[in-house]
Amino acid sequence: MTRRTRVTTTDLTAQGVTAAKGRAHVVRTEGLTKVYRSLLSPAGVRAVDNLNLAVREGETYSIVGPNGSGKTTTLKILLGLIFPTSGSATIFGKTIADLGVRERIGFLPEDAYLYDCFSGEELLDFYAGLFGYSKAKRRQLTDELLELVGMQENRRVPFRECSKGMRQRLALAQALVNDPELLILDEPTSGLDPAGRHQMTLLIQELKRRGKTILLCSHFLAEVEEVCDRVGIMYRGKIVAEGALSELAGEPTEIVIEARGLPETAAEQIAALPGVLGVDGELVRMGHAEEGRLWSVLERVHQAGGRIVEVRRPRPSLQDVFVRAIREEPR
Amino acid sequence: MTPLASRVIVLVGVALVAAIVVITRRAWLPAVGHTFPSVWRIACITVAEARRRRVIQAVIILVVLLLSSMTFFTYLSPMEQARMIISSGLAAITVFGILLAIFVAAFLIPAEIENRTIYAILSKPVKRFEFVLGKYLGAMIVLGAIVAVMTVVLVGVLALQDRLVQDLPDSRFDPNLGPVILAAVLSYFALAVLTALIVLISTVGSTTMTVISAFIIWAIGSLQSTIHDLAENAAGVSRLVLLVLYNVVPKLENFDIRHEVSNFMSISVVAAWEAILHGLGYIVVVLILAAIFFNDRQV
Repeated sequence: MTRRTRVTTTDLTAQGVTAAKGRAHVVRTEGLTKVYRSLLSPAGVRAVDNLNLAVREGETYSIVGPNGSGKTTTLKILLGLIFPTSGSATIFGKTIADLGVRERIGFLPEDAYLYDCFSGEELLDFYAGLFGYSKAKRRQLTDELLELVGMQENRRVPFRECSKGMRQRLALAQALVNDPELLILDEPTSGLDPAGRHQMTLLIQELKRRGKTILLCSHFLAEVEEVCDRVGIMYRGKIVAEGALSELAGEPTEIVIEARGLPETAAEQIAALPGVLGVDGELVRMGHAEEGRLWSVLERVHQAGGRIVEVRRPRPSLQDVFVRAIREEPR
Repeated sequence: MTPLASRVIVLVGVALVAAIVVITRRAWLPAVGHTFPSVWRIACITVAEARRRRVIQAVIILVVLLLSSMTFFTYLSPMEQARMIISSGLAAITVFGILLAIFVAAFLIPAEIENRTIYAILSKPVKRFEFVLGKYLGAMIVLGAIVAVMTVVLVGVLALQDRLVQDLPDSRFDPNLGPVILAAVLSYFALAVLTALIVLISTVGSTTMTVISAFIIWAIGSLQSTIHDLAENAAGVSRLVLLVLYNVVPKLENFDIRHEVSNFMSISVVAAWEAILHGLGYIVVVLILAAIFFNDRQV
């Protein structure tokens, strides 16, 4: 149904990434591998396996994958929190060990781990202070960021007393204190209720509109579909499929006519029409290539007493793509 | 060597170090200028966090109450009262200071890793050694404040008792304030050395391992002369182990002048300076090691 895209670094550009094609790489990894070894497991667990990743300036890229697929490990390597076993990673063309890189990035950790005895105001002042900003600038930044994430009214509420949604918004605000060019977001909507998730999605869209390059990890596929230009599906430490959503989903494979009140006797006749794949209750399904016969089929449905509600060409969702990509991977 | 000559030597030494610092300022000032904001901010948040910890607040209140209650030794002669207040006051400062040092320092780095608050810090332009240094500096400010509060209360109690007994016949009450303050200062430096060691252990170990190690180090450090005597009489591997312990673990005994102060004995200022300078050197080495170990730690 859809084209499965297996990608290596060398053929990334060949895939025709429309959103950011021709722009400079902001994040790039080559053969990035992380093996966790322990006394009980000398061979180790391969958390990230020969990962080749390229995120271009201005694009929103999401790594999606099940728990334990290596998403967070990849982000932690990019942030210098852990060290790769082999391979290399660069951000803005510089090695991740270069401290200057961190002047230009913002990181939202999963589950918003911030000091819980401080208020949002105090936390933002502290994180801004790590960039050496003056008191006046810290105050200005704190006001602006609290406004941006909608926390002005709760600016003095201790972090431990904040709701999950408030915490996540504060954590995003701390990631923005240096007005970063690259934002790295680890599960930004994890644990949020639908309203909180919607708010966070809007915030990410706003940041995208402001031209930030965003690299995010998530397993909420609906949010990824809403905000991302490109997606990499990660499984067992590898990117098993990558591309723009439209590329991953592929072309629609059928046309669906939804008709109410279609008599059962007419359904059999319509199912026998050329180009019709079948009739399933109120749904008449046609092959996508049979578009030329669409009008005649619509006419027959109408004549048979069916009230046409909708004609659509459904694409596989990211969830379909995700499930298929993982299912096709050898275990 | 006369006391005057000893003081002159110490003063010349301090002046020499100050001169080197000033002359070489062009080499280290830019690096410090970049490093200082991060270190200072991390120190400040460590202090602010400690201030809000109920356990620390409770211990400080308990110690203050304990020290304040020492005015009740009225059944003793004035001189015995002074001895008792100084002795138990300094013991309280030492014991509670060490317990708080272990409690504060053992959680400095492991808690940041276990609570994952370190992610939002190390993803900013903060070098790992700046983080270690900031946490240490913060802990030392907290401990400094605690020791200062306890010392002020003890000095207050001694001054109050001095006033209370001065009208009594045969009132030879000596508050011995100078040596008491010096003992508290030395106690603080002992805490600084112990805290540095705890920070070093915490860069490679968990909180539990750090706490256990800290108590062991404290015990060994306080019994160094005994360990030296044991090493003298031991042989083979035991002797080697005891000698290593004697030479590696800091000699916390050198910072302990409680016995001399509470018994109104003379105190060697040179020995105090030696202990402080030796302690500072030890702290520098230990913190450099901590920074090296933490640089390679995966968080």
